[in-house]
Amino acid sequence: MTGRGPPRLNGAGAGGMCQFKLVLLGESAVGKSSLVLRFVKGQFHEFQESTIGAAFLTQTVVLDDTTLKFEIWDTAGQERYHSLAPMYYRGSQAAVVVYDITNQDTFARAKTWVRELEKAGSPNLVIALAGNKADMANRRMVEAEEAKAYAEEKSILFMETSAKTAMNVNDLFLAIAKRLPRNEKQPSGEGGSGHTLVDPAQDEKKSGSCLTTPGLNFFTLTSELDLRVFKFEDVYGVILNRISTCYVVNK
Amino acid sequence: MSASNSNDLHRSEIDAYGFKHGEDFDYDSYEEFMSRYLSILARRASKWNKLLSGSGSVKRSSKVKRYVRKGIPNEHRGEMWMCVSKAKKLMDSNEGLYQRLLGQELDPSIQSEIDIDLHRTFPENIYFCNDAAASGKQDSLRNVLKAFANHNPEIGYCQGLNYVVAMLLIVLKDEEKSFFLLEKLTKQILVGYYSKNLRGLNVDQMVLGELVKLRNPNIASHMENKMAPWSLVCMKWFVCLYLDILPIETTLRIWDCLFYEGPKILFRVALTLVLQNEESILTARDTSQIVERFRKVKSQPLNMDCHTFMQKVFLDSQPLKMATIDKLRSECEQNL
Ligand SMILES: Nc1nc2c(ncn2[C@@H]2O[C@H](COP(=O)(O)OP(=O)(O)OP(=O)(O)O)[C@@H](O)[C@H]2O)c(=O)[nH]1
Ligand SMILES: [Mg+2]
Repeated sequence: MTGRGPPRLNGAGAGGMCQFKLVLLGESAVGKSSLVLRFVKGQFHEFQESTIGAAFLTQTVVLDDTTLKFEIWDTAGQERYHSLAPMYYRGSQAAVVVYDITNQDTFARAKTWVRELEKAGSPNLVIALAGNKADMANRRMVEAEEAKAYAEEKSILFMETSAKTAMNVNDLFLAIAKRLPRNEKQPSGEGGSGHTLVDPAQDEKKSGSCLTTPGLNFFTLTSELDLRVFKFEDVYGVILNRISTCYVVNK
Repeated sequence: MSASNSNDLHRSEIDAYGFKHGEDFDYDSYEEFMSRYLSILARRASKWNKLLSGSGSVKRSSKVKRYVRKGIPNEHRGEMWMCVSKAKKLMDSNEGLYQRLLGQELDPSIQSEIDIDLHRTFPENIYFCNDAAASGKQDSLRNVLKAFANHNPEIGYCQGLNYVVAMLLIVLKDEEKSFFLLEKLTKQILVGYYSKNLRGLNVDQMVLGELVKLRNPNIASHMENKMAPWSLVCMKWFVCLYLDILPIETTLRIWDCLFYEGPKILFRVALTLVLQNEESILTARDTSQIVERFRKVKSQPLNMDCHTFMQKVFLDSQPLKMATIDKLRSECEQNL
């Protein structure tokens, strides 16, 4: 590992903070704000207020020795606010396009968002498709296979999530973090085995699907100042198949 | 006993309008402010009672304007909004209209847009929360939004109206009145704000940018350097008319002026918020820091003191002529 230095994201180094902008897009009421609330505060509201304009939140994650600050723009879903979206996704490094698995129309809308991002988003934009409300599988209208095939065709990330049960929420954001366009900046040929920040694209191929959980230790710190006190946040799917530790610092 | 009761009231988690105080609600500042404000309220109430004795309504005059700027007392607020906006007149000359509109079938796609938001409108408010079936305010909200969409197919339903109408219902406690006040608001006071292309809204946000340029070129150029369009910061200010942006009492004082004087007040308040945060803006590293700092305006003690805040609003933006705004509007319209 010596000589290469710590993994870099957008040019920041070890101990340094690298921040990136992430935007959430998708039809109204698919659960964009709920996903953010789950990721940032670990909460879920049965009745989440509809977003006007956009809400801005941040969340800081420590992935190995790199501190990542997500700057999250959670946009309004109603069609008439659509024209404002470029203001939020322009300059974003990542976009999460959300649909509701119980509603076909929202999936169609998600596809139009993906198309728009491909056309107008920045060239290195990392796009993730999130099929939310996966806890309501009994009312499912969009098959996971269909969405997964679409995501593969578009070479974008895909996960089914539930803001309600927390399923795949943290994983989604971490998978995005790992996909950020740092690869080009990295000297190639470095062995990435066991290191979460190296060559995530390959990792995903290895595991055969972008649906699998990355298997991280995931902790939520109860306070930004007291880094020693943390509570175990995420018990599902924690497969310690990689030596990596991830802390989430409450903002 | 009564002393501890009134103390409980102050410390109550629910305010006079049914809202739960936010996590960052500063009870100490609030109590300190209320102890001063109560005597102001008593004085205003007695002046208004005198003003209204007899006719029970008011005509436009510099005195009434001054009174409105100093705040309409709660017990008269609803009636005065109806009166000074002329919504009452509109209602009286359109008897039966509201009921007719309610009876009409609404385009199912618009209806479902409305229905999606009903449970998501002030879910923390005791009148709108989802186990308050008894209070029926959610049904009233559905009705007013439906009647409005039926009457204004070119607007239909615009997210944001749910909050505005909910607040009207809390103050006016009447669907039909809320409907006609909403008519006045969207057709005469805030033209084009909630339309399908949000044109009026977008123009006015650009106008704010121009006003800031005139008042404080430093701030304007800093925003430009950071490539932050003002709408990033102020979108919700203009859509929700400061609901959920400023403390509720402050918001209602703004609405008092909105219904009497028109949209100018929205710009005045915006200018005050911008100027008040000059330091924050000038020292912000990037767009998100600017936005982050503006998010805190709700909990700034100064903004909780609605009386002082409104005084400041009128001082900060003096003079502001509607002619100036109209001129900027037509310039911005061309650039849109
Ligand atoms: N069962 C279930 N409900 C969810 C989930 N995520 C969100 N919801 C609910 O769906 C509704 C809409 O969620 P929001 O997060 O407000 O949706 P949004 O996409 O932000 O909507 P807009 O702000 O209007 O664009 C809320 O009542 C949530 O409680 C989920 O994973 N499972
Ligand atoms: Mg939302």
